[in-house]
Amino acid sequence: MIRPLLLALALVVAVSAPALAHKIKVFATAEGAVVSGLVYFPGGGKAVGAPVQVLGPDGVEIGRVTTDDAGAFTFEATRRIDHTFVADTGDGHRGTFVVKADQLPVSLPGGEDAAGAPSTAAPAAAPAAAAPVLDPAALEDAVARAVAREVNPLRLQIEAYEERIRLHDILGGLGWIAGITGLAFWLLGRKKQG
Amino acid sequence: MVHMVEGIASLPVVAGCTVLAAAGVGYGLTRLAPEDMPRTAVVGAAFFVASLLHVPIGPSSAHLLANGLMGLLLGWACLPAMAVALLLQAVFFGFGGVTTLGLNLVMIGAPAVIAYYLFRGAARRGTGAWAAGLGAGALGVGLAATLAACVLALSGEAFLPAAKLVLAAHLPVIVAEALVTAAAIGLLARVKPDALGRAPAPAATPAEGAA
Repeated sequence: MIRPLLLALALVVAVSAPALAHKIKVFATAEGAVVSGLVYFPGGGKAVGAPVQVLGPDGVEIGRVTTDDAGAFTFEATRRIDHTFVADTGDGHRGTFVVKADQLPVSLPGGEDAAGAPSTAAPAAAPAAAAPVLDPAALEDAVARAVAREVNPLRLQIEAYEERIRLHDILGGLGWIAGITGLAFWLLGRKKQG
Repeated sequence: MVHMVEGIASLPVVAGCTVLAAAGVGYGLTRLAPEDMPRTAVVGAAFFVASLLHVPIGPSSAHLLANGLMGLLLGWACLPAMAVALLLQAVFFGFGGVTTLGLNLVMIGAPAVIAYYLFRGAARRGTGAWAAGLGAGALGVGLAATLAACVLALSGEAFLPAAKLVLAAHLPVIVAEALVTAAAIGLLARVKPDALGRAPAPAATPAEGAA
């Protein structure tokens, strides 16, 4: 009986087309003002051509991007605010990911003081007046970018590690089922005695 | 798809399905005889684990559902067992969500109960076990995917593209599920026919009478 089952599984694996797993994940990191991200199915597989909505902290749409052939997307942030990336494949799967404001360069105008052009112009004018090498804002940006380059792969790895379903989760679930059954029997037994 | 996450289906759809699911679980509990409890738990555990069995397909992967098998074996009693298993999947694995539990239970449980009524007769006849398993497995996933598309349509997605997307994605799962369910039911029909709720087989009755 095992043999036909294995045969059947092998056959299915051989003939079938791509299918979706039960959830999608979004992952994004900022390097400078450019946010690059990935939409993928945990357990392998990239979401190709998935629409990604970019929302501000107040839930207002800032922009819209689409993933490429590798499931990747890039988005250029214009303000230093929390960006929420929402991928929705239209079949009941949705993933979100938040890029915090403090991952974005300080040179970008913040969410609160982004009243308009004047506040944007002021920080841009200041670096030009100062000596270019010692400009603290530019230096901070450069350091932040370098650190991000080193740290981002780790972030992705941690994300993937978090996603892995571990044996103790499965065993825990089975234990719960056994426990609930035991509880039901116990209650039934009490009813019979009473 | 059938593990739908929070924030996709609209509120009336979620609320309606939750009421429906609660009614189904309540009715299922009344149909759950004490002597059936261990069987229900074992099949429930199998369902809980089945969605972890990823079949790597192309660049992505699909997972089995086992709802047809569960319905065929348990009938209405599959609903309470499914509710527990789905809750555990949501909590432990993050499949679906806690507030969409009722919604997911309707999408997965309704095909299971329908499969029970359509195929239990064939499953009880020893010769039809494989066919019944094939039918129940295919119907379980196929109908669940269709229901998922309906839910998406009710929640504002255009029905046809959504249905096409969901069904196309699950075509391989339907095939895999049908074959696995058929193998499982076929095995049970041979080694443990009473698991299918079959009256003592004609061959077994004289043997028991003699013993």
